[in-house]
Amino acid sequence: MALHLVVLIKVVPDGKEVFVDPVTFTLNRSMATNIINPADENALEAALQIKDKMDAKITVMTMAPPFAEPFLMECMSRGADEAVLISDRAVAGSDTYPTSLTVAAAIRKMGDVDIVFAGEKTSDSSTGHVGPGVAEFIGAELASYSRKVTYEDGYVIAERELENGVEEVRIPTPAVVTILTDSNDPRRATLRKKIDAMKKGIITWSLADINIPADWVGLRSSPTVVKKMLPFPRKDRKAEKIEKDKIPELIDNLVKAGVIKLEAE
Amino acid sequence: MSEFDAIVVGGGPAGSSAAMRLASAGHNVLLVEKADPPGSKNVSGGVLWGNDLEAVIPDWQKTAPVERYVKAKGVGFLTKESNIGLEFRSGLFDKNRAGHMVLRAKLDQWLVKKAKDMGAMVATGVTVDRVAFDKGKAIGVEQDGDIITSDCVILAEGANPRVAIDSGLREPLNDKDVAIGVKEVIKLSEKTVNERFNLRDKEGFAGEYVLGFLPDQVEAGGFLYTNKDTISAGVVISMKHLRENDRTYSFDIIEQFLEHPAIAPLVDGGSVEEYSAHMVQEGGIERVPKLYGNGYMIAGDAAGFSFSNGLVLQGMNYAIASGIAAADTFIEAKKGSGVSEESLAGYRKRLLDSYVLKDLYNFRGIDEVTWGRLPHRAMPNALEHIMKGLFIEQGVPKKHLYQLMTEALGESGIRTSEAVLEGYRMLRRM
Repeated sequence: MALHLVVLIKVVPDGKEVFVDPVTFTLNRSMATNIINPADENALEAALQIKDKMDAKITVMTMAPPFAEPFLMECMSRGADEAVLISDRAVAGSDTYPTSLTVAAAIRKMGDVDIVFAGEKTSDSSTGHVGPGVAEFIGAELASYSRKVTYEDGYVIAERELENGVEEVRIPTPAVVTILTDSNDPRRATLRKKIDAMKKGIITWSLADINIPADWVGLRSSPTVVKKMLPFPRKDRKAEKIEKDKIPELIDNLVKAGVIKLEAE
Repeated sequence: MSEFDAIVVGGGPAGSSAAMRLASAGHNVLLVEKADPPGSKNVSGGVLWGNDLEAVIPDWQKTAPVERYVKAKGVGFLTKESNIGLEFRSGLFDKNRAGHMVLRAKLDQWLVKKAKDMGAMVATGVTVDRVAFDKGKAIGVEQDGDIITSDCVILAEGANPRVAIDSGLREPLNDKDVAIGVKEVIKLSEKTVNERFNLRDKEGFAGEYVLGFLPDQVEAGGFLYTNKDTISAGVVISMKHLRENDRTYSFDIIEQFLEHPAIAPLVDGGSVEEYSAHMVQEGGIERVPKLYGNGYMIAGDAAGFSFSNGLVLQGMNYAIASGIAAADTFIEAKKGSGVSEESLAGYRKRLLDSYVLKDLYNFRGIDEVTWGRLPHRAMPNALEHIMKGLFIEQGVPKKHLYQLMTEALGESGIRTSEAVLEGYRMLRRM
């Protein structure tokens, strides 16, 4: 039977076009165009690479207002088989807790999901909560910080990039894998898949479709409180331009300061 | 059975017009555009002479995203210190506001949306690799190894016709056939644009300039179009001259144009919103490829349908007219014997009957006189000499106009016999 892979995406403002307001320290997103969260593109690519090797169905899913539709279409144009948009006025203002809960309910509704892929974090809020949250709510194993994922007879093998090295884990399905930004090279859309996507269209689910009561979600059911935003403190660095003839002197000084060590040839 | 009746490659004025015509006639059409959003890869100045649009969008005059209408048209010869110009500012432009300044990023998106609303399937952000052929007949397009089938392919991919070239339907472009256009969109305010160009409300100014002051042998033309609160300003440089002069850079020439004493005050204080460059078709009728074959037609810039005589620079009108002609040819072929090389021959006939091919035939060889030392060096220099003699009082006995003109020929920098001969050729061909 075909594997069922679900890829979670989020539409975010392009970080290159977001500015911090110098007075209020809030994010000014008004100039920004929307993009697929970069790590989510890598998550989709990781799923597509599994589909390249074996019989698999990929469902891409997001929770967002209808403006996210073209981005779901783009995912199908790259090779996802179907797209689900969870869209409901009641979810507005939800933080990562009700979001994970809602997404998990949608995954449970699908019933047959083997692996859930998500970006390790989003570029607009960087919490990294939703992937692990979904794993918790659906009772699946989790491999976070992954850069490479393969599937073998009911197990997911993930290469996890940690602070002190790389760890390879083997976990049973159903599993959730969160993928690091830039961990692969996302493929481009093709015309054939674009046409197919336009013919298929997008599946839209409301909260009622996934049996989530409206008072479980939204701003009121979100425990996160943003108290304050602060600018990142700038550190003035000492910089000095060294002319070519001063390089031996520089090396001497660095050796004396213990920054570098010269080895005999 | 094909998936589509027709596939149109390119969502500019030619492709969108073809798609609109086909879709509104009930045909199942796919429009493929590499830019997302449409128009974002376009550099055209530009002025849209949109009379032909009426056939596909009857109320375009009221609904199209245009900036201003052409109320004044200017031609100027620039020397190092002077602008010797001619301006046609006329109420005659008010009666039929056919010429409009447009920003293509807005216009092309609007046209593609119209095509979609009329029923075309639109795929943006994807580039077709080539036309797919089977036994000499075009059967669709190929992209990333897939073939999407259609009864007919209309190539409307613009001035850089990669698909036509890669499909063997067009010769690769030579330096002689193209020029490089470089454009800036400069932000001012609506009020400032009105004041600087002497305009009111929706009135606009379109100016073309000969850059007679450039160093070396470089030949280039400049243009200046007023949008609502921006100015589109740029240069068109002959590719041949760019190649021959190692020290010449397109970005340098646009700067020299914008810093010219007659131009600088018009753009002063503005901020650059867009900077772009693209090739411009200049080959004329000699370089128009075979326009149709079994199962395909080529329209717009991809077919070399652009017109420049030094006084005007047009392409969008030819694009729209040819896109519609291609669509109508297909519609007629489907009603009759079906799509074949013979039934699509009607496309060329339609174009021969219209201004599209008539203009190109009538102005055959125009590039030989619009690029050359006479318009680009001799005329600016000679005109400056005459104007100086006429208008700058120098405390010496005045000369007759005839005397000034004879002297001016001497100041022009080219031999009198050459100037006379070239001048005659220019008048004949222009």
